[in-house]
Amino acid sequence: MNDLDPVVGIDLGTTNSVVAAVQDGVPRVIPGRTGQPLTPSVVAIAKNGKRLVGALAKRQAITNPEGTVFAAKRLIGRRWGSQEVEDARKVLPYALVAGPEGHDVRVELGGRAVSIPEISALVLAELKADAEAFLGRQVRRAVVTVPAYFNDGQRQATKDAGRLAGLEVLRIVNEPTAAALAYGFGKQVQSKVVVFDLGGGTFDVSVLDIGKSVYDVIAVGGDTYLGGEDFDRRVMDWLTFGFAKEHGGVDLRRDKMALQRARDAAERAKCELSSAATAAIHLPFLLGGGEGKGALHLDRQLSREGLEELTKDLVDRCIAVTERTLKDAGVRPAQVGEVILVGGMTRMPRVQRAVREFFGREPCKGVHPDEVVALGAAIQAHALAAPAKGDDVLLLDVTPQNLGLLVVGGYFQTVIPRNTTVPTAQTHLFTTVTDDQTSVRIAVLQGESERAVENDLLGEFVLDGIPPARRGEISIEVTFEISADGIVGVSAKDVATGQRQSITVTATSGLTEEELRRILDEQLDEQLQRKQTTREIEERRQWVARMVGDIEALVPATRDALERTRFGGDALRKAEAVLARARAAMQARDGDALAAEVEPLERTLALFQGLAAGGRAPGGR
Amino acid sequence: MSSDKYSGFQFAPAELGEDVELDLDRRKDVLFAAAHADRWTHWEALGLPWNASVEAARAAYLGKVKLFHPDRYAGRRLGSYQGRLERVFRRITEARDVLADEGRRAAYARETAPPEVRAQLEARRLEDERRASERRARLVRQNPIVGRASRVGELVARAKDALAEGRLREASNDLRLALDLDPRHPEAVRLAPEARRRAAGQRAAELVHEGATAEATGRPGAALAAYREALAVEPGNVRAAAAGARAALAAGDVAAARTLADAAVRAGPQAAIAHEALGMVLDAQGERKEARRALERALELDPGRASAKERLKGLRWSFLG
Repeated sequence: MNDLDPVVGIDLGTTNSVVAAVQDGVPRVIPGRTGQPLTPSVVAIAKNGKRLVGALAKRQAITNPEGTVFAAKRLIGRRWGSQEVEDARKVLPYALVAGPEGHDVRVELGGRAVSIPEISALVLAELKADAEAFLGRQVRRAVVTVPAYFNDGQRQATKDAGRLAGLEVLRIVNEPTAAALAYGFGKQVQSKVVVFDLGGGTFDVSVLDIGKSVYDVIAVGGDTYLGGEDFDRRVMDWLTFGFAKEHGGVDLRRDKMALQRARDAAERAKCELSSAATAAIHLPFLLGGGEGKGALHLDRQLSREGLEELTKDLVDRCIAVTERTLKDAGVRPAQVGEVILVGGMTRMPRVQRAVREFFGREPCKGVHPDEVVALGAAIQAHALAAPAKGDDVLLLDVTPQNLGLLVVGGYFQTVIPRNTTVPTAQTHLFTTVTDDQTSVRIAVLQGESERAVENDLLGEFVLDGIPPARRGEISIEVTFEISADGIVGVSAKDVATGQRQSITVTATSGLTEEELRRILDEQLDEQLQRKQTTREIEERRQWVARMVGDIEALVPATRDALERTRFGGDALRKAEAVLARARAAMQARDGDALAAEVEPLERTLALFQGLAAGGRAPGGR
Repeated sequence: MSSDKYSGFQFAPAELGEDVELDLDRRKDVLFAAAHADRWTHWEALGLPWNASVEAARAAYLGKVKLFHPDRYAGRRLGSYQGRLERVFRRITEARDVLADEGRRAAYARETAPPEVRAQLEARRLEDERRASERRARLVRQNPIVGRASRVGELVARAKDALAEGRLREASNDLRLALDLDPRHPEAVRLAPEARRRAAGQRAAELVHEGATAEATGRPGAALAAYREALAVEPGNVRAAAAGARAALAAGDVAAARTLADAAVRAGPQAAIAHEALGMVLDAQGERKEARRALERALELDPGRASAKERLKGLRWSFLG
């Protein structure tokens, strides 16, 4: 492996993603090709069938709500039929369907059911391309961050997304831990640090003990269902109710485009209120009035106090989670040496005040809440790619939830308790309960409830090939492992013979290995096809360029004739539109778009040539 | 010097000579630690003397972890050393988990006290015991009434043992006998109500567990009966009342569920399960607003309560349409 091969750190966020790398010993955010440090985590299939990622996808979201996927992180690694997915289906404008096995979630996009890791992979691939353009080298390895509270399925799916994007994911790192790494970079930190991470979709809080460049996580807590989008939704609901009240019960959410506009406006107002005392929400022509009435407009003012009132309980929930996590860590607020705020939502003054009141100290202002996670990921990536120079950082993270098994009576038995330092392993003995039993089924779950059904099912494993014997005579030793990524592994062996038992996974919430392979193969085919068609596109582009040039040359000669009549003016406008589309297609080197413009160009050229020769406007057809 | 460090440990040449990207000293460290990991006490695992402080344990762990964490050698060819590193890392982390926690450290220190320290502690305990029994004997000699007192004393002592070992019903019985003999025996008077209460609590807990099992196996009727019995034994049992409300709801008896849920909230105004149960019942009675308030209260008391959160979410959504 080449030591100089660059490795990057990626913060794959709910709303925005960031990529960073260590250069000359300093972690730096890599700007996207649009020059912005943040890339919206949005993927779209545009009306013309083109795939868009990032800012381009976000920009067309209002006019294309069904074809635009945002907040995919809320769905990644979730099981079809889970509460989270059911809730998401009610509020998301794009359609969700079950995967082929009925376990995972797919997005209906461009007539295809696309898996969530594939969506995330498109965002990752965009960041990879940005990094490659910036660094001028191929990027093959990355560290990707996830919320600390993500379970095994969500971590596995994120890793799959990396693979689909052509990245070897060296490590999955928890976002608050990464933030602590970035905070401690270049300092000699020797204290207990709390990271308060309120992002777009999730809330995480971590307590770390930092010393001798070792970042030892003592406890993590969080809520995967609490984030900036919940704040947005409160504002949205307020707008919706107000609108309904004003216009006699009209529900603006019926209209997908109106919903998307209101959603954007709600988010914008929320952000504005972090620096201003009031925000105006002005959405003209939001809905058609129907029944001969005029269009309905939305025009309201929201004050900072108003927003705080709408979201008070959300802030209170953050503090309650923080309190519990500190208790888990055995740390009192006064013992905390530093509080680091991460995530865009921590810009809200009310959130900062709540943190200040709880800890009795000013939170750290030295880190950039949007960039700190990616910077930390880059530091860890660097440490893993070029390790052991003595002063390198070392991360010791913990598992966020209890890992355990389903036992008789529907109860949950913990095997590895939460806040155990990873990597870790635990061994359990299983025995047969009937004579000549040849297989044992083990359901592995993750969660906090003592009732199995209330926890997340990671998978069902079947141990088979057990030699026939009287019940209880066979002992099988099952080892549960949690890797440094927080990903769970299960292996088993027969105690008597020492033989390893085979294990089959019968249910997971992600892509199967075959499916992953198939998608990767398809990608390869696509690439080969692309190479083949590049030449074809180039030829077509030249042909289009020639026609555009010819038409442009004829414009001065025909303008007079065209502008004299109504029909002529119309034709000129149409011709200009054709030219604009053709130019855009040339710039994008989009083969299909180019092909689509050939015929209109030919017609326009014929018309212009006729006009230039005859000097007369067309009389209409 | 290095032979000192490894206290004469014989390294296997084949293991030491494996083709891996680790220098010789590091190989020796890893082989030595991996060979001893299972035999070490937690103190030895971190290279600490017996009874070292929590701070010392933390500091020692940070030092060791820099040597043995697999990430320190990421991307290198490690062969069989990879597994050894992981094993050693787990072992020192296990030691840290015990020794960096004040409560667990103190218990472990008592358990692992060296013989001379243990002998000292034992001698002190025996001496105390000897003096106490001497005093008792002297009292019996001086006063015949104390004879009966000593039998009461025996009963109380037995009850205390039973209490400590969790045999609560026996403890409660012995104390009742002691009080029959000497109704004013101060310790018996003090302990009896507590023993009675705890015995009832234990029985109630058994019944609650029975109820939970019945519930889990889909027999809400049997569950409700068990919960009711638990409440009869221990009227203030919040869990029994709350779970009973849930079971009654499952059995279709909304009125009984409401009574139980109200009882749960009365018994445990600070218990999230009580408010959650009330929320469920109110929801079933169609009082959505009240239900929401109860569930919000439950979440306020226990913000991590996922089931309440989900129920509340359900209510919110249907409210919004």
